[in-house]
Amino acid sequence: MLTVTELNKTYDTKGRRVEAIGEVSFSVADGEFVCVVGPSGCGKTTLLRCIAGLLAPTSGEVVVEGTKVTGPPDGLAVVFQEYGRSLFPWLRVADNVDLPLRAAGMAKEKRRELVEDALESVGLADARNAYPWQLSGGMQQRVAIARAIAYQPRVLLMDEPFAAVDAQTRADLEDLIRSVWQRLGVTLVFVTHDIDESVYLGQRVIMLSSSPTTVAEDLAIDLPAERDQLSTRSDPRFTELRGQVYAQIQKAKQERP
Amino acid sequence: MIKRIGLAIGLPIVLVAIWWFASAGSKDFYFPPLEKILAVFPDTWFGPRMVDDVLPSLLRLAVGYAAALIVGIGLGMLIGANRTLRAVVEPVLEFLRAIPPPVLVPILMLMAGIGNTMKVLVIISGCLWPILLNTVEGVRAVDEVLTDTCRSYRIRGGLKMWHLMIRSASPQIVAGARQALSIGIILMVISEMFAASSGIGFTVIQFKDGFRIPQMWSGVILLGLLGVLLALLFRLAERAVLGWYHGIRAVQKER
Repeated sequence: MLTVTELNKTYDTKGRRVEAIGEVSFSVADGEFVCVVGPSGCGKTTLLRCIAGLLAPTSGEVVVEGTKVTGPPDGLAVVFQEYGRSLFPWLRVADNVDLPLRAAGMAKEKRRELVEDALESVGLADARNAYPWQLSGGMQQRVAIARAIAYQPRVLLMDEPFAAVDAQTRADLEDLIRSVWQRLGVTLVFVTHDIDESVYLGQRVIMLSSSPTTVAEDLAIDLPAERDQLSTRSDPRFTELRGQVYAQIQKAKQERP
Repeated sequence: MIKRIGLAIGLPIVLVAIWWFASAGSKDFYFPPLEKILAVFPDTWFGPRMVDDVLPSLLRLAVGYAAALIVGIGLGMLIGANRTLRAVVEPVLEFLRAIPPPVLVPILMLMAGIGNTMKVLVIISGCLWPILLNTVEGVRAVDEVLTDTCRSYRIRGGLKMWHLMIRSASPQIVAGARQALSIGIILMVISEMFAASSGIGFTVIQFKDGFRIPQMWSGVILLGLLGVLLALLFRLAERAVLGWYHGIRAVQKER
C-alpha cells in the first residue's frame, strides 16, 4: 500500500515562492498499476521524487507499506527517464544490474541468478558483456528495467521512462512493462505525459492539474487485463477512456493562471 | 597504424638529422657535435650511474607522484563532496597553487633537511595541486541522475565512493594527473640541483661544473627520453582507466 496525503511542495528562491505541488492525495493498493498523467510542467517528476524519498515535501506525507518516507524507502526501485545518465558507463550491462545487489550484500550465487533472470526477462541475455553506451536507447532503458527487476522491489516507480525512445521501441517496452508487472506482482506507479500510454498501461489513471498541482480526476481503466497493441488500442472503450483523459488534461491546461 | 607511427616519429628524425649535420665538426666548446654527445651517452649513463643516479631519481619521482595522487584524490573527494568545506578552502587552494614549487626548496630544506624526504616533498608540493583541483571539479560535477540512482538503490560506502565519485570524476582526475606528471619530472630535476649527492639533475650540474660538456648534453637527452617514456606509460594507463570514456566519445562522434 502506498499513500500520498496532502502532499505540498513549495520552492522558496530569492523571495519568490513557487508552489510546484498544491495538494495531492491518493493511494495505490498492493500490486496495482497506476499511471499518473498531467500536462507538461505540472510537477509530475517532483511528485515522483517525493514518493521515492529523493526530495522532502514541504508538508504532507508519503507512506509506503506502513512507513513514512523520509529517505529512499526499502524495497522501492526507480526507473528514470534519462537512462543514459542513470546507468554506470564504466560498468558492463550485467555489472550495472548487479551493483545494487552487491550493495545489499547479497551472496554471489544468488546475485548471478537474479542478474541472469532479469536480463533474460528483458531480452538482453546476449548483451550482458556490452557497455551501456554500445546499446541503442531502447536497449539501455531495458538494462535500467532489468536492474529494477533484479532488485526485487515491492514498489516500482517509473518516471516517463519511454519519453526518449522511438515509437516502435516504445510499444515493445510498454508490453514488456505490462508483462513484468503481471509476473512480479509489484505495485507500479508510472508517470507519463502520454495520454494513450497511460490508458493502455494502467488499471487506474490519476490526472493532475497544472501547477500548483492537485488531483483533477482519478479514473479506473476497465479494459481487460490482457492487452495488446492492436486490439486494445482499437477497442471502442479504449477510445472512450482516452477521450475522457484527453478532455481532462485540456481542461487542466486552460485553467492555468 | 604504420602511417601513424611514421607521422609521429618523422619530425623527431628530421630534427635529430638537422642537429647532427649542423653541429658536425663544431669547434664551439659549449656546443659539441651531436656525434660526440651520443658517443659518450652509453658510458655515461648505462654504467654505475644507472643505479647510483637514474634509479634514485626515478624512485623519488615515483614516491612523490604516488603520494600526490593518493593525497590529491582523497582530499579532492572530501572537498568536492562538501559545499561548505569547498567555500572555506578554495581561496586558500588557489593561493597555494599559485606558489611556484621551486621557491619551496629552501624552505623545505630547512624543515626536512637535504635528503630524500626534502626531494619527495618538493615533488609532492608541485604535483598535488592539479590532481587535487581537478578531483574537486570532477566530484562536484557528478551527474545528478546517477546520484539519485545511488540513493534509491542504496549504493553506499565504498561502492558509492568508487563508482559514483572516483570513476565519475576519473576523466578530470586523469587530466590533472597528466599535468602533474610533467610538473613532477621538472621538480625531480630541480630538487636535485640543490644540495644533492645523487640523481640525474645532480649529475648534470656536476658535468657542467667539471666542464664535461658532451656528458652534460647527454644528460639533457636522457631527461627528454625519460619524459617520452613516462608519457607513453601514462597513455597506456589512461587507456585502461578511461576506456569507457573514449568509447562514449567515439560513439557520439559517429552519431
